[in-house]
Amino acid sequence: MDATLTPSSRLASSDIPTAVPVKRTVGNWFGWLIGGWAMFFAFLFGLSATMLGVVRLFAGFDEKKNSVGGTWEGVGNILILMLVFVMILATLLTMADRKWSAMMQDRVGPNRARLPGIDSPLAGLPHIIADVLKMLFKEDFISDGAARQKLLFNLGPLLAFGPAFCLFAVIPMSPEVFFFGKRISLQVLHVDWGILYVFALASIGVFGTALAGWSSDNKFALLGGLRASAQMISYEVTLGLTLVGAFIAYGSVRLDVMSELQGATEAAIRIGGSDPTLFFGWLPAWGIFMQPLAAIFFLTAAMAEIKRTPFDTPEGESEIIGYYLEYSGLKSGLFLIAEYVETVVVAGIVTAIFLGGWHLPWIEPALCSVLDGLWHGNGAALLAIFQVMGFIIKVLLVIWVMFLARWALPRFRYDQVMHLGWKMLLPASLANVIISAAAYLAGGREAMAMVGLVEIVAFVGYVAFWGKKPAADAPDAHGHAADPHAAPASH
Amino acid sequence: MDHGHAESPRAAQDEQELTLGEKLFLRETIKGMAIVARHFWKNLFGFRDNTTEVLDRKGTGVNLVTTINYPEEQKPYPPGYRGMHRLVPRVDGRPRCVACYMCATACPAQCIYIEAGEYDDQAIEKYPVRFEIDELRCIVCGFCVEACPKDAIRMDTGTHAPAVLSRPLAVFDKEALLGGAPVELSSDSMTYRAPLKTVAPMGSNEGGKKMGGH
Ligand code: SF4
Ligand code: SF4
Repeated sequence: MDATLTPSSRLASSDIPTAVPVKRTVGNWFGWLIGGWAMFFAFLFGLSATMLGVVRLFAGFDEKKNSVGGTWEGVGNILILMLVFVMILATLLTMADRKWSAMMQDRVGPNRARLPGIDSPLAGLPHIIADVLKMLFKEDFISDGAARQKLLFNLGPLLAFGPAFCLFAVIPMSPEVFFFGKRISLQVLHVDWGILYVFALASIGVFGTALAGWSSDNKFALLGGLRASAQMISYEVTLGLTLVGAFIAYGSVRLDVMSELQGATEAAIRIGGSDPTLFFGWLPAWGIFMQPLAAIFFLTAAMAEIKRTPFDTPEGESEIIGYYLEYSGLKSGLFLIAEYVETVVVAGIVTAIFLGGWHLPWIEPALCSVLDGLWHGNGAALLAIFQVMGFIIKVLLVIWVMFLARWALPRFRYDQVMHLGWKMLLPASLANVIISAAAYLAGGREAMAMVGLVEIVAFVGYVAFWGKKPAADAPDAHGHAADPHAAPASH
Repeated sequence: MDHGHAESPRAAQDEQELTLGEKLFLRETIKGMAIVARHFWKNLFGFRDNTTEVLDRKGTGVNLVTTINYPEEQKPYPPGYRGMHRLVPRVDGRPRCVACYMCATACPAQCIYIEAGEYDDQAIEKYPVRFEIDELRCIVCGFCVEACPKDAIRMDTGTHAPAVLSRPLAVFDKEALLGGAPVELSSDSMTYRAPLKTVAPMGSNEGGKKMGGH
């Protein structure tokens, strides 16, 4: 502090800013809106093109091989999908989580961190850098109790993060496509066990949380670890069973095969015209239309599996803090980032199985011929860029829905979590298996779509009408819509 | 739930009032998510109204964020707000204060320090040579403003005492306090004394003579 600064000079200085309301004109705001979305889609397009391009580059190192799954292509895929796409997306999600939450709650959200020289909050993005630096440089504190089993204590975050990180390997982001002379696809592992790999690795994640809870030598952490293991194991059953309907429909557990079957075939795309795989000639052959309830059940079970709110009893910040209570610095960061990576993976699986994977509905063959006209013979390759973009947008949408659920629903009590898992989701998914199997036997996938449509209509009807109170004391929309136990129509 | 005991009336009531549709939970979930989604899209696409006076943002096209980003956006204080003191100047820039010690006497926190001086040849007898307010001790009661017979001290600056990094900086002196719109009342001239050229200066200093502080 400058000692010579007199009070009068302080009054004159900028320490006391004059209150000038910053007013952005509406025209300006409209420009930002259009420009912002244009930039967003341009970014997605660039990202998709870059991802395909880099994988093509790596695939080029395999001189002779001209089918998917070469070593170099795999290296390129690991690099671009897992290290860049998943990690970048998970990192951005740490921020998006806070910023989206703010928007859902009518707040501004984090906007104080600044990049040097730029006097703009940049939508809070500098906070990511601040967070990472904080995680890296914080003291890695190990309590006395935990020091006694240091190995297990250190293994915890690794076992939580490692499997989550590997999960994305089986998720296909693009079709197999001739991308400028090489046949490539954005998928690391082309294996027959597909989704089983996800189930197997996701179970290993339980070791991470259980070990963390136990080796922390803290009763609350142990409680969190126990809750986490019980919850993850319970929901794994449902997680698998909800997908059985999809397995029946596609006859495969490979995610790339499932994605492929949900839209126009490669041949149809090359010929142009209309998409022959549409159900009844108008409905995209997406999993969600065959298995609408399974899609909801799966998303619910998956959210419980990755311990996201409203199923975050293992973490329960307001009560037991959770299995990572004793961790600090980067190890705690690993737990947190593992959750976001898992979010991305779950969104990817839901997209690949239920939302048509990379397929764009209806327009693929037509778009391909248009693009063919633009750049002769490369229509399919250009289409692939749009398909990857479509996949990313779908993933973002699913993630957004998960965040919606987070802010709309109060946290379940632990027994409610178990009740929902074992007594509601499990029987429901079993029933779904039987109905799906019967429908498939009766008339293949079109029959399943028929059943699915009936389910959707019934569901919409239920949401809109069934069980409604008489109009006189209908609950007001802002009241207790999110709370199932509030006394209805109390105001 | 323990069915051995009598259930609380509240719980029984809840059970009764839940319809099957509500027990299925899904609809309530969807309704809740729809509300949250509506807020999200409104805030995403909405035009942020920076007018700081607006508290309840409704209306189309305007987002629902009521937060005021404080240092950049400031809400004007209401008209009666007791803010930073100021010593009201006369039109010629001298303070209206006549160093009567009324405010210092009235001040319950005893944070006003005045040293009076005397004009040699002016229609006004006294003026403050030093006038200091310790804003850290001030309890912002406004008694000083009430006490002043000359309307010479006001708290109408619309800003609060600024944060300081060391205590001495919170003591605002006459130069710092003197400012704002000058005030001249029609009754002022009545209180002027006639210029008394005959009275000899009581000291040899130019501006006036210091009298003791309190
Ligand atoms: S506002 Fe009250 S405490 Fe502050 S200076 Fe005036 S009389 Fe004293
Ligand atoms: S009461 Fe008014 S005139 Fe008297 S000393 Fe205080 S500010 Fe000056």
